[in-house]
Parts: sequence; structure tokens; C-alpha cells
Amino acid sequence: MVNAFSCMLKSKVTENVLVRNDAIEKLGRLLKREVDAVFGGSIAIRELDSGSDNATEIEINALNNAFYDVERFGISFVASPRHADVLLVTGAVTHNMAIAVKKTYEAMPSPKFVIAVGDDACDGGIFAGSYAVLGGAEKILPVDMKIPGNPPTPAQILEGLLALMRRAKEGKRK
Amino acid sequence: MAGETVDPAAHIFEIIGTVLSVESMTRGCSNEIYVPVSEEEFEPVINLLTARKFVLIALFGAEGFRYFLGTSLLYVFEKRGGMVILVRDADRPVSSIAAMIPSASWFERECRDGFGIEFTGAFDTRRLFLHETYPENFHPLKKSFVNGPIPTKPSIDPADEYPFRKVNGEGVYQVPVGPVHAGIIEPGHFRFSVIGETIFNLEVRMFYKHRGIEKLAEGKSPEWCIRIAEAVSGDESVANATAFCMAIEKISRIPVPDRAWQLRTILLEMERIASHLGDQAGMLLDVAFPLGASQFSVLREEVVRENERLTGSRFLRGMVAIGGLSRDIRKEQLYELGRFLDQFRKRYRIGLKIVLSTASVIDRFGTTGIIRPGLLRPLNITGPAARASGGKVDTRVNCPYGIYTRYPPIPKILKDGDVISRFTVKAAEILDSVEIIRKLLASMPEGEVRREALVLDGYTLSLVESPRGENLAFVWVKNGKIERYKVRTASFCNWQAIEHAVQGNIVPDFPVINKSLNLSYAGTDL
Repeated sequence: MVNAFSCMLKSKVTENVLVRNDAIEKLGRLLKREVDAVFGGSIAIRELDSGSDNATEIEINALNNAFYDVERFGISFVASPRHADVLLVTGAVTHNMAIAVKKTYEAMPSPKFVIAVGDDACDGGIFAGSYAVLGGAEKILPVDMKIPGNPPTPAQILEGLLALMRRAKEGKRK
Repeated sequence: MAGETVDPAAHIFEIIGTVLSVESMTRGCSNEIYVPVSEEEFEPVINLLTARKFVLIALFGAEGFRYFLGTSLLYVFEKRGGMVILVRDADRPVSSIAAMIPSASWFERECRDGFGIEFTGAFDTRRLFLHETYPENFHPLKKSFVNGPIPTKPSIDPADEYPFRKVNGEGVYQVPVGPVHAGIIEPGHFRFSVIGETIFNLEVRMFYKHRGIEKLAEGKSPEWCIRIAEAVSGDESVANATAFCMAIEKISRIPVPDRAWQLRTILLEMERIASHLGDQAGMLLDVAFPLGASQFSVLREEVVRENERLTGSRFLRGMVAIGGLSRDIRKEQLYELGRFLDQFRKRYRIGLKIVLSTASVIDRFGTTGIIRPGLLRPLNITGPAARASGGKVDTRVNCPYGIYTRYPPIPKILKDGDVISRFTVKAAEILDSVEIIRKLLASMPEGEVRREALVLDGYTLSLVESPRGENLAFVWVKNGKIERYKVRTASFCNWQAIEHAVQGNIVPDFPVINKSLNLSYAGTDL
């Protein structure tokens, strides 16, 4: 039988994290400062795949691994658009997703921001002109920021978020 | 699975020769056999092939293909690396084979949407990739349709909504999920019919991400088309680009230098390692074991950083080219890769040990989401999902391409078909891929990595074992441009297994079952 009390007295069972890198840490601290100033401590992000090739989702998911661990910087990914401040749209908007994309955006409370992540979301990418897509996210949503890339790296996505925070701060001042 | 000494093509000639004239059969560039089949001959041939345990691995349309002026249907059957393609005239009434071969149902619905082919006697005639928003009588893969914007419906009348299969009975209720899910994943719709907490039936509706990949490729240069192949499914970029380039190389008889094939194989196996690690992390997250999940996601991040160091792309994009690779990888970089893999393997084993000695994980993984072996052939299930259910299928072994004959993988075959089996198969494959790469690094030849050559006209099929299973590419070049590019990823077929795998399981186990199969939405929806 394990004595619960002895567990409490032992030192914590955590390992030294050797995965941090200075550039990401610096970027994260800047981001945290802006998030604190504009959103009062944290932002809630809803990711929406409107027709990507899934590479961008994989990179957004990577933001939660121990290398980035973006929750430290006040960034959380939420399950419902009703809890979200920011919508990250990935992929060209397909006809089959168009209605769902609109409904997701409408479900978000205002004020709300939209970021197009990846070349396809920015302007349709290689799919521009295909019968099956409307084009980039801006065809049906008001896009506040674009993060190009095929796909953008996790660091580039963080830089994009930082740029959005700075722009939102400008808007707040006005 | 190995040890087939007879020429598979000769075997096919022999079998089909009993019902069709041998003169009508021709060999393609990859040793596949094409044979035009009349309506009278069609059913006997299908019966013969299914009786001889051939598997329908693809069915697609093409206009103006060789034997017929109008639309042809190409039925691709495979057995132990031998492929036969029955070509059927689709301008005459054609019958459905979906009642006999279940995997044909999605294929037939796909052909119907693409080309407007009606299959008589089909039990499911709902549209597949063209959802309700698309106009009636619109068939994008017809040559008469020039790719460009089309008018769609801004909203759908409830009466026109997609009719899901009705499941009635006392206590049965529906749980509709998607297309937008709660996590950072791709869109798709799952319609659960549930009794209490137990899943009685699941119907999957896909194709929300249909981007028109096949039409987009038409009329493009083969060189440009590699970008399209890489965009089929994000973490199968190398596999799909390789399948595409391999087809072009077969058609144009381009000899790919040894060094290029060795490097390509390293990239293919690195892609497999990254994909499997992502699955394993996801599966552990879905059973609330973040300690295990974070170990594997850290390792996955290190692998993709290694990819970036080697190629400049975390997804290894822009490397595979017609005739080899677009650029070489330097000796020092390869040396570093070897060192990385040595320490990777040690740490991976430690992570695996922690996971497999955790009772709560085993409890959730064991006996969950079983795929019975009897489903494999009728649904054409391939990849780790098949190998965890006793299927001795691995394209690298059954139908070796590139240099896999010299560096064969050792497939891990398990029989139980549950989540733990799939997890264990993937673990073994990660370590096997590391072993393959180490052997490739140890015997890396010097020399060029690309043979520049003229792309000739022609057509052929190619098969590649992607992380998710067997991917097929049919490439037809006409006047130097792509006339038809059909891609069928493993996920297209494997998706249909999940409807069976979840039956009798509880709804909260669906995410881990789904993750254990790691199905690509983009690769299915095209």
C-alpha cells in the first residue's frame, strides 16, 4: 500500500526539460506581454479546417508539444467557437465546407479575429481556380491577418499571432 | 507474403485466359495487365477474380482511354503484386458490383459524381464527393467541363439534406458529430446510432474537404503536378510524390540513380516514423495519458526538425522529382542523421516501455475497436490497420518498388485487430524504419541524384506503401501534359473499416479508435 503522505514529502517527479530554445522563449515572452495587454491574460483560439491538406493542422497541433507549450504564453485552443476570440482558418474554403465555415464564425462572440494560416487559406494557393473551392478564407470571412507558408512552421504561426496582438492593440487605442 | 517465384503477370494471363482471349490483353509499363471487357464477359471475369482471391484496389473513370472513345471504367484488381485492369465501356449501361464487392460502393459513387455514370442495381446511389451545395447534373471530371468557378447553393433546404441511413428501434438515438470537431483535426461527419452508451451503428460522411485534386492536375505539366501530389495529404507528401514520379519514370523509362532511390527511401521511412509517432501520441492523449503522449510528441518534433535539417522542409516537400531528387543531401548531414537515430531509438524504447507498462493504457487499448480479418479483402484494408488484423499486406514486400527488394522491411503481423494491436504494430514499424534507414546510410553510394530525361506519353499505375497503407496513383500523360491523375490513398478504403470497428464499443472510445486507424480526410476527399 502506498502511503499518500510519503508521496507528498518526496521531491516532484518531473524531468528537466531540454527542449526549450531561446528564440521561441523570447517570442513567447513578447506574445505573453501583448496577450496580457490586449486580452487581459489569455486568448482562446478555435482552429477551423476549411479544406487544408492537414499539414497546417499538424503544425498548429505542434504548438502544444513540450518544445512550444504555448499555454504558458496565455494561448489556449478551445473546443467550441462559442469560447473563442480568434479563429485560425486553414486551407482553401471548399464548397462542401462553406456553410460550416460561416456557421462557425457566426457562433463566435464579438469582438473576434480571423487568421488565415497557410498559403491555401491566404489566397487559395494551388487550388485557386478549382471548381471545388471558393478561394482563400477572405472570400467568406473578414480576415484580419494572413500567415503564409506551405505549411507555416509553429514559430511562424506564433509570429503571426504576435502581429495580430499588436494590430489589435492599435485598434484598441483608437 | 514473400517467396512468390512465378511472374505475377503470367499468373494473371493464365487465370483470365480461361474466360477471355489472351490476344486482347496487354502489359503496361509497370507490368500491370490491361484487358477490355464486354458486358457479357464482365460478370464471369469478376466472379473468377473474386473466387481466385483478387482484391479490388481501385475503380475509376477516364475519357477516351485506349479501347473506347467515350468514358471507360477501369477496375484494378491485385493479388500478390500482380495487377489486372479490366476496362469497361461506360457509355453503355453498366451494372453495379457493390453487392458482391463492398469496397466498390464508394468507388462507384465517386465515378457517378465525377463522370455521371449510372450503375444499375446499385444499393447506394447517394452523391459522394459532391455535397448538396453542388448543382444537379454537374460532373467535374468530364472533359467537356472546363475547370473554373461554378454556381453553388448558398443554403440547403432541409428537404434536400443528405439522407443518412435510418436506424430505428427502442432506445436508439442519434449522435451527430461534425463536420467541425472539438479538436485541431480535419472535418468529417459521424452519425452515431447509440443505445445507452454503446454504438449500434456508425455512418461516416466524408468529402467536406473535396478540393478537386484530380481535375486540377489535368492539362498541367508533370513537373508541376508533383506539387499537387504533395498536397493530397500533408503527412504523406513523400509517398504520394514518389507514387506520382514513379509512374512517370516507368512511362518514360527513366532510370533513377541508386543514390536517389536510397535517399528517397530514407525520406519515405522518415515520413512513416513521424506519422506513426503522431498517431501514438494522439492515441495516448485520447486515453488521458499525457505522460506517454508528451514523450512521443517530443520525439515527433525532433524527427520533423531532423527532416527540416535534411531537406529544408518539415514535411520533406520539394525533394522528390521526376528522375530522382531535386537536390542531394550532403554526407555530413547523413552522418548526423545516423547519430540522431541512435539516440532516438534509445529514447523511443524508454517511452514505449513506460506506455506498455501502464495498466490504464492497456485497459483502454485492449479489445477496443476490433477490425475482423474477414473485412480486410472485401474492403481493401491496407497498412498497419490490416497488419494488426492478421493481414500479410505491405506494398514494400508484396510489390516492392525502388530498392525495397534489397532493404526489405520486416512486417509485424498481429491477429487481434484492436487498438493495442495497431499501437504495437506501429511501434514495431518505427523501429524497423530506423533499422532500414541505418542500413541505407551504411551503404550509401556516391553519384548523381537525378537523371534528367524527356517525359514520354503513356499511362501506368504505381503503388507505394505510405504510413497509412497502400497508395495508388494512375498517371496518364498525353502530349506532354497530364491527361488523367487518379490517386487513391489507403485512407479512402480504410475509412470504411471504422464503421465496423466501432460497433459495440462505447462512444467515448471512438476518438482513440479513430486515432489508432489514423485516417486522412484530405487524402480521401481529394
